[in-house]
Amino acid sequence: MRPAATSIILPLASLVLLLLVPLFATDSYTRHLFIIAFLYAVIASNWNLSLGHCGVFNFGHLTFFGVGVYTAAILSKTIGINPWIAIVAGGATAALAAFVIAAPVARLKGIYVVLVTFAFGQLVMQLVLSQAQITGGAEGMVRIPYLRLGDYSFIKDYKLGYYYAALFLLVASTLFLLAVVRSPFGKSLKAVRDAEDYAAARGISISRQRITVLVLSAIFTGIAGGFYAIYLRVASPDVFGFGTLSLALSMVLIGGTGTVYGPIVAALALTFATEALAGIRGLEEARFIVIALAMIVVLRIAPGGLLGIIEKLNIGERKTAEPADARN
Amino acid sequence: MIDTLIATLVSGLVLGSLYAMMASGLSVIWTTLGVFNFAHGALMMIGAFVAWTVSEAAGLGLLVGIASGTLAAALLGVLIERLLVRPYYGNRNMLLITVMTTLAAMIILEKGAQMIWGARLKQLPRLVDGEISIFGATISAHEAILVVLAPLILLSIWRFTVRTNVGRSLRAVGQNQRSAALIGIDVPVAFAIAFGLSAALAGLTGALLGSIRFITPSMGAEPLVKAMIVVIFGGLGSLGATAGAAYIIGIIEALLILWLGLYWTPFVLFLMMIVVLVFRPTGIFGSSQ
Repeated sequence: MRPAATSIILPLASLVLLLLVPLFATDSYTRHLFIIAFLYAVIASNWNLSLGHCGVFNFGHLTFFGVGVYTAAILSKTIGINPWIAIVAGGATAALAAFVIAAPVARLKGIYVVLVTFAFGQLVMQLVLSQAQITGGAEGMVRIPYLRLGDYSFIKDYKLGYYYAALFLLVASTLFLLAVVRSPFGKSLKAVRDAEDYAAARGISISRQRITVLVLSAIFTGIAGGFYAIYLRVASPDVFGFGTLSLALSMVLIGGTGTVYGPIVAALALTFATEALAGIRGLEEARFIVIALAMIVVLRIAPGGLLGIIEKLNIGERKTAEPADARN
Repeated sequence: MIDTLIATLVSGLVLGSLYAMMASGLSVIWTTLGVFNFAHGALMMIGAFVAWTVSEAAGLGLLVGIASGTLAAALLGVLIERLLVRPYYGNRNMLLITVMTTLAAMIILEKGAQMIWGARLKQLPRLVDGEISIFGATISAHEAILVVLAPLILLSIWRFTVRTNVGRSLRAVGQNQRSAALIGIDVPVAFAIAFGLSAALAGLTGALLGSIRFITPSMGAEPLVKAMIVVIFGGLGSLGATAGAAYIIGIIEALLILWLGLYWTPFVLFLMMIVVLVFRPTGIFGSSQ
């Protein structure tokens, strides 16, 4: 297959299939799994923007998601703002949170980036826990208003409305990521990742690119968080925990760091795989072990992720097309 | 007023001892291998569970239990080094890859413990019963043992790394792997020893803590995060700085709880950690490189 075919036809075909899914999956449980998978796909692919494309080892990506969750929950429930606006506001506050943490991250290297972003996540979680009168503390918030469009409630029709809203969010986020990665700015991110000194010598500001990439990666992650809160109608501090973090990280690693579609494919596959395991009695906890093992295996045998292997298999055919590929 | 302050300082001392034992383990691995072990808290938890199983479920007594917990954690530590860290020596991204593999190890250990031991709360009996009064502040005799034991353990680790050949080889490997290998030090063995020693410390801490707190699969998370704050505050480089920072953080935490309450304390601690990281990434006592 020519690169154009794989990079345009395959995603479009997958999109058509996903648009048709509700025709076949008519029960709300299957649709629920798809919705959760779409949200994880948004989280993982946006995380990959900072982690895979720019090499910023951001361990606080789920913090942006959590900020979106609580923004939407507080705005729609406590203040009574329209849930649609509350979801979008989640993206704005997440971007703001990213800007706050980006300033120190831009100056640090290696393990210190891991530690400061991780500490930031813990900081936000402690803030949520300590402000119990606003956030509900450890119990979280429940009965958050649901989505409506005019008179139509999204809870009706076995979550049909939520399904398409989540899919729309994933498509918008993916188009956004493609635009960022293929822009000159996206190229400069790869330069920062692969040859920091050379990039700096060519006039690319390392810290400015790092700050920008963190803020950009937070926007759709925060919106996904807002959607998550409105869809599930709960906000709980669990979103800051190691569980969600490791699940999303495994999606980025297994899907392949530095690709756009890899984490999306991995998110869909892993959500269904872990849900299947959760259905087996006595294995509810084992699914996290399976994910952790998968992470270790992928890091050992295929550090580029599973999609990376497939691309390596194609490398012979693609060699001549490489310059064209680099231009688009 | 004075009574409250003394009570606070004493409880800070107990916390500081706990953090010193946890953080020195992290520091040993960091200085030797340059690896940040996210599974450190989970190893502590395994130490507590194994100690409980041997001492309570099997009825072999508390001391045998504590010894088994320490040994089990040490063996697991060596296993983690062998399977999850060693394959990446010399890799350009070793630091970041091992962050992820040890995070995976943490999840496997935590969820595995939940499957093996269940969610029911468990607790170990105390080494000694009764209470001890220090300047009018009372703590349990068990906590007093922890306070006395921690500096002794730290001192013996320090003596080990400074006075013995094996200990010196660990420091040599930490400073320059190639030169160490050139003068005949078995680098992989040194790495295994560092991991085993660090894990044994975590296991021992867990077994001792199992008498004070409840033993749960997630009991290691909070001490790990606190140890993280300590090593950042003190700098990841030296054992002495780590130990000093542990006691400072323990006492600051106790004072913050007194002034701000339980809720705001972790928030302020993390804020302090970020500020230190930004302005002095090598720690308060660390030398700027």
